[in-house]
Formats: sequence, C-alpha cells, structure tokens
Amino acid sequence: MDRPDTLEIRDVTVRLNGQTILQDFSLGLEAGRKALLTGPSGCGKSTVLRCLLGFVVPQAGSIHIAGQTLTAESVWKLRRRIAYVGQEPDLGAGIVRGILERPFHYHANTALRGNLARVPELFDAFGLARGLLDKEVGDLSGGEKQRVALVSALLLDRDIFLLDEVTSALDPASKRKVIECFRLRTEATILFVAHDAESYPFADLIVEMQGGAA
Amino acid sequence: MNQVVEIGAGHLAAAYLLLAFPLAIMLWYRIPMIGETVVSVVRMTLQLIFVGLYLQVVFRLNNLWLNAAWLLVMVTVADISIVRSCSLKLSRIALPLSGALLAGTAVPLMLFVGLILRRDNLLDAQYAIPIGGMILGNCLRADIVGVRTFYESIRTGEKAFLQSLAQGALLHEATRPYAQKACQAALAPTVASMTTIGLVSLPGMMTGVILGGASPAIAIKYQIAIMISIFSGTAITLAMGLWLTSKTSFTPYGPLDRSIFRTA
Repeated sequence: MDRPDTLEIRDVTVRLNGQTILQDFSLGLEAGRKALLTGPSGCGKSTVLRCLLGFVVPQAGSIHIAGQTLTAESVWKLRRRIAYVGQEPDLGAGIVRGILERPFHYHANTALRGNLARVPELFDAFGLARGLLDKEVGDLSGGEKQRVALVSALLLDRDIFLLDEVTSALDPASKRKVIECFRLRTEATILFVAHDAESYPFADLIVEMQGGAA
Repeated sequence: MNQVVEIGAGHLAAAYLLLAFPLAIMLWYRIPMIGETVVSVVRMTLQLIFVGLYLQVVFRLNNLWLNAAWLLVMVTVADISIVRSCSLKLSRIALPLSGALLAGTAVPLMLFVGLILRRDNLLDAQYAIPIGGMILGNCLRADIVGVRTFYESIRTGEKAFLQSLAQGALLHEATRPYAQKACQAALAPTVASMTTIGLVSLPGMMTGVILGGASPAIAIKYQIAIMISIFSGTAITLAMGLWLTSKTSFTPYGPLDRSIFRTA
C-alpha cells in the first residue's frame, strides 16, 4: 500500500509583482522519500520551498504537510516539523555557539535542548573545526556558514528537510560529506533544490522545472 | 526669588538679530540652507504665536474636556509625524501607534500631576499641558528612532528573520532581537542625557521653573520627576508601539508585510 504523502503541493499558482512564478504546479512526496527540484535559475525552485514554509502564499492551489492543509493557523505548528536551509544562509550576528543555541530558546524547541550535545559529532561529520564554535559568524567563509546552517537544521530533529542549494559554496569533498549525511537519513522526507542532478543519484523523484511548471 | 521678566515685542525682535550669525555662516560656507532656515524660523514664530494665543484661552477656561482635547490633538500630530518620519503608511500604523502614544503620555502624566504634584484635577491646564507636551515630545523622538529601527532592521535582515520562523519561532520570538535593538537605540539618548544632566547643560524644565521665579532647590525636584516621567513614558510608548503595530504589520503567516512601507 502507498504511504500517505508527507508533502503535497496541489495546482499551486504564485504571482509576484505581476509575474507568474509558479503555474498550476503539483508535487507529492511520500514520507521518507527524497526529491530533487532542478532547473534554470529563476524557474521557481526556491519559491516552492518558500510556499511550503508559508513565506509565500499562493494565489491558487493548496499545500498539505503530513495530511494537514497549510493555513495561517496551521503553519505555526507545521513549521515545527520542517528544517529549512536557504541559499546563502544569513545566520544573524554573534558567535557560532550562540547561533546554534538560539533556536532552543524558542518555545517549540526547548525540549530538544539536549541535542546540542551532538554538535561536536556533527562538526566532525561536516569537516568543521570545533574551534569555529567561538568564532564570530561574520568571520566565517561562505562554505563554513552553509555547513553551520546545516548543523543547526539537523540539531532540530525534524522529519522534513527543505534544502535550497546548500552545497553551492562547498568544495567537492565537503559536498560529498553533506549529501551522504542526508542520504543516510532514511526516515526523513527531503526536498533538495540543486542544479547538478548527478550528485543526487539516490533521489526517488527528480522534478525538472521550466518556467514555473514541472 | 524674582518673578518672571516680561519680554516686550521690541525686545523679542532683538532676539532675531542673533540669526545673523547662523545666516552669515551659511553664506560664508555657501550652505544651501538659507531658504529652508528662514521658512523654519517663520513657521516657528507663527506656530508659537498661534499656540500661545490658543493656550491663553485654554488656561483661562481650564476646562477638563478642552484640556483633554488639546492633549489628543498633540498626540495626533505626534502620531502622524512619527509614521511619516518612518516612511510607513498612515492607514496601517497610525491607529495602533496612537494608542501607544496615548498610554505612554497619559500614565506618567497622571502620576506626575496626581501623585507628585498632588493636584485634584489631573488635567489642570497649567500642569497637564506643559508636562504632557514634554513627555509626548520625548515619546515622539524615541518612537521615530525605535519604530524605524525595528521595521528597517527586519526588512534589511529578512533572511535571518525568516530563518527564525522556519526554526519554529513564534512571531514574538522571531521579532525579539529586532525589538531589543530598537529599544536600545531609542532609549539610549534618554539614558545618556540622565547621566550628564546638570553637568553639560541646565535642562528645559529646570530652566523654566527657575525663570518662573522658583528656587533651584524646587527646580531640581521638578527636573528629577520629569526625567523619570519622560523615561517611563518613552519606554511604555515604545514597547506598546512595537507590540500594537506588529498586529497589523506582519502577514498571518509571519513574514513582514512590505505593504506597510510607503516606498518599496
């Protein structure tokens, strides 16, 4: 029997500033599956992720996460199931340790605070020096910022990951480590946005987007 | 102590002679501000003449409702001025902000007049209007800095703000760092002025009380009370202003609603 879709986008249309970004776009992803959204720049890949987070509200269509329709009321609860890492993540200001601790001050995550004990293990897995923990975020390279953002996402123990070109600033070895880490998360439902489909041979679904449609 | 010295119209005209210095400096350095300066001096003169005449009537009648109405006019003018200075849309921000200004002015004013000065009529024109004006003027300055800092820093740091929402933050949790920054920026000048007050300059209320014929010993008591009232008023206005305007400035999904800005 098919597993119910964890992520479902039904006939979504998004227009921003008079321009159609997505047109009747649909996508379904069962729990534990991995999908890759690919296509030329500006075709709406990132907008799909922003719709799933409620940052962009479609003019038509609907979004369902774990069987619940995404609405202004449900979005606050549904975001607690999602970990998102955007392109060129802005981690805010402060030292890396503080940035990693910050989400655990939110009411939604206080019970997960013990996960911070996994920081050294995740730093090792992503090839990050532990000394970075006391460094100012502003002093990190683009690749270090991306990996710190990924560590922060993994610490939150979510079952859905939305990853938007998260390896764009990484060297090939670091990129392999990151992709391998997510490949091994068999229980997690993951939507990757990337340009190089060949780096994701394990993807259950590859969606080639063109002009706001699949 | 002597009573206040009356200034005759001719003597007041002499004060305008002092304008020769700034105007000469502008001419010398070719600063293109002469027209603007003349307009602002004319405006100041006309506005103060009008307010002076109006307040003469208000003070003579000392009617509770008229005094309250005058304070409301002052709040409304301050409200519009803040929203315009922050490049925000009046239709979206003015109403919630007016509630904050009203509370931030009324609470310390009532305590000042009722508790400190022990007046039976809390809206006595002689006290409520000048003290209310001083508190409101400072609330206006603090709100311009605070409200602008809050919304501009969220707008420019939108990625980090959205990341907080994506990590499960509620709206008040995601906006907290920006509110902290805004409050710090807005309250810092009052804190700094309390630190140096009396050492660098004699403050306005103290000067007014001394010129009115009271002893410096009485004047400092008024000054201490007004400084604390101003500080508490600005804090109340700012906190309430950020809280109330937040209700209409974010989409129901959490992101900042950019249509609150007058310019994109």
